[in-house]
Amino acid sequence: MRLLLVEDNVPLADELTQSLQRQGYAIDWLADGRDAVYQGSSEPYDLIILDLGLPGLPGLEVLAQWRAGGLSTPVLILTARGSWAERIEGLKAGADDYLSKPFHPEELQLRIQSLLRRARGLANQPTLQAAGLHLDEGRQCVSRDGQDVQLTAAEFRLLRYFMLHPQQILSKSHLAEHLYNGETERDSNVLEVHVNHLRRKLGRSVIETHRGQGYRFGGVVE
Amino acid sequence: MKSIQARLSLGLVGVLVVVGLALAQISLWLFEVGLQRYLETGLRKESENLLVALVRGHSGLELDERRLSSAYQRPFSGYYFRIDFEGGSWRSRSLWDMDMPRPPTPGLHAGLELGPAGQQLLVLRADYRRLGQAISISVAQDYTPVRDGFRRMQQLGLGLGLVALLLILVLQRITVTRSLRPLERTREQIAQLQQGKRSQLDSEVPVELEPLVAQINHLLAHTEDSLRRSRNALGNLGHALKTPLAVLMSLASSERLNDLPEVRAQLQAQLEQIQQRLSRELNRARLAGDALPGAHFDCATELPGLLSTLGMIHGDHLLIRHQVPDGLSLPWDREDLLELLGNLLDNACKWADSEVCLSIEQEGGVYRLWVDDDGPGIPENARAGVLERGARLDEQVDGHGLGLGIVRDIAEAWGGQMRLLESPLGGLRVSIELPRRVAR
Repeated sequence: MRLLLVEDNVPLADELTQSLQRQGYAIDWLADGRDAVYQGSSEPYDLIILDLGLPGLPGLEVLAQWRAGGLSTPVLILTARGSWAERIEGLKAGADDYLSKPFHPEELQLRIQSLLRRARGLANQPTLQAAGLHLDEGRQCVSRDGQDVQLTAAEFRLLRYFMLHPQQILSKSHLAEHLYNGETERDSNVLEVHVNHLRRKLGRSVIETHRGQGYRFGGVVE
Repeated sequence: MKSIQARLSLGLVGVLVVVGLALAQISLWLFEVGLQRYLETGLRKESENLLVALVRGHSGLELDERRLSSAYQRPFSGYYFRIDFEGGSWRSRSLWDMDMPRPPTPGLHAGLELGPAGQQLLVLRADYRRLGQAISISVAQDYTPVRDGFRRMQQLGLGLGLVALLLILVLQRITVTRSLRPLERTREQIAQLQQGKRSQLDSEVPVELEPLVAQINHLLAHTEDSLRRSRNALGNLGHALKTPLAVLMSLASSERLNDLPEVRAQLQAQLEQIQQRLSRELNRARLAGDALPGAHFDCATELPGLLSTLGMIHGDHLLIRHQVPDGLSLPWDREDLLELLGNLLDNACKWADSEVCLSIEQEGGVYRLWVDDDGPGIPENARAGVLERGARLDEQVDGHGLGLGIVRDIAEAWGGQMRLLESPLGGLRVSIELPRRVAR
C-alpha cells in the first residue's frame, strides 16, 4: 500500500512516516500544497492523508483540484480545525474521512485500514479476509484454518496488497509502484522472491503466475 | 414613548385651535368695529336731518314732523331719537312709552337695551347749537339683527373651522405616514435582523436616518468582524497547540517507549487530559452566543450535510433518521448549532447498534431537541456522573464524556437544559430544551 502524506509540520510528518512504515505502508511525504496537487494526481497512490493548513495552497483547495481532475483515491483529512462546520465542508469537498488533531496513532491506523477496505468495497471487519485467509493487520500475521503463520514485514505488505485486490491480475511494475515509495530502488527480482516465500508458507496455488501479465491472488487454497 | 405620529397630531391640533380661535375672534371684532363706524355715519346723517327739522315755531323750537322719516313714527320700529334742549326733551313716537336715556357723553354708544323685545341699541349723541340754544340729539338704531347676524357668522365660522381642522388632521396624517415610511421600513428591517432574516440594514434611507442606519450597519459589521477574528485567533491557537500535541501523542505510543511502560502510561494520560481540556475550552470560547443576528440554522439546508457526514464517518450500517418539521429554522448561530448537533449525533452513532434518531420540535417558546440511539445506554445511577460539573475529565466515560460535555456547554450558554433519559429505542436519549431568545 502506497500512501501520500501531505503535512507541513516536520516533527509530526516524521512521526507519522515512521509509525506508518512500521505498519507496512510505503510513504511519500510532501509539505507544500502545490506539489501535492501535481504528485497526488500523477502517482498511483492507494490513499492520501491530507493536512488542511498547508503552505502554498490550502488543503481544501488541493482536494478540490484533485476531485475536479477526476482523482478517486480515498483522502483522509487531518486537521487541527475540528469543528463540525469545517468537517462538513471538508467532506463536501470530497474527503472520505476526517480526523482532527491531536489523535491517537492507533486511531489513524484504524481509519486508514477501514478506508482502504471501503475503497475496495470490502465490509468493515476487524481482520482482512480473502481466499480463506485472515490477515491480522495489527499483529502482521496471517491465519489459515485457525493456524497462525508468521510473516516478515515485506511479505505482510505484499500479502495485504494481494488480499485487498483478490482475483485481479497485478503486474510486477504495478505491485512495485504500490508497495514502494518514490525513493526506493525498484527491483522486480525482490518481488519474485517475496512471492515465492508467500507460496512456500501458504501453498503454491495462493498466487498464480500469469506469464507476461503478472500475478493473481485468490486461487483455490490447498 | 408616544409615537411621533401622535405627538405631531397633538401639536398640530393645539396650534391650529389656538391660532384659529384668536384669528376668528380678532377678525370678528375688527369687522364689528368697521360695521359700527359705517352705521355711525348713517346715524350722524340722521341726527343732522333731525337738526334740520328743528325749526323756530310759535312757542320756541318746533320739530317739523313732515321732515321726519316714517320709521320714527312706528312704535318699536328700531329707529329712535331723543332731542334734549334747555326747555325739555322730545322723544320719537317709535319709542312709545319707553324711555331712552341720554348717553352721558357725545359719541357712539353700544349695548343699551330697550323695550319688551330686548332690542340692543346703537346710540349716537351729537351736540349742536341752533337758534341760540344748545341742542343734544341722540339717534339710536336697533343693533340686534346685526348682532344676530354676527352670532350666526360666528357659529358658521366655528363649524367651518372644525371641518377645516379635521381635513388638516387627515391630510397631516397622510403626510406624516408618508414621510415616516422610511422609519417604519427601518423598524421592520430591524425586526428582520432579530429574526435572522437579514444581516444588514438597507442603506437607501432619507438623509435624517442615514447616520443611524450607517452606524447600525457599522456595528453589525464590526461585531461580525471581531467575532470572526477572535474565532480565527482561537482556531490558530488551537492549530498551534494541537499539532505539537499530535506529535507528542504519536511519540508517546512509539516503540521507543516499549521499555518504559509507566512513563508511556503517564505521558498518554496527561496528553489525553490536555487534549480534552483544550478542545472543550476552545469550544467554549468560540461560542458565538447571541452576539450576532443572522446566519441562523436552517434545518432543511444544514441537516442533510451533517447527516451524510455522520454516515460517512460511522459507516453505512447505521440508520440515521430525523424528524424535523418542514421549514424549521433555529434562531442560533449556524456553526454553534452544527457543533451541538454534530457532537450529540456523533456520540449517539458511536454507541448505537443500528439506529440513531434526531427529533426537533418547537412548542411555544421552547425548542426541544432529542437524540435517541439503540446502543447500551447509560445506567440511571451513572448518568449524573457523565454530566456532573467539575467531574474530572479522565474519569468520564470515554466518548460520552467529551462530546456531551461540549454539548452541555453550548446548551448552557444558550440558557438551555440538557437531560439524559432512557430511549424508547433501548439506548440513551439525550434531551435538550432551548428557550427561544427574547427579541431585544
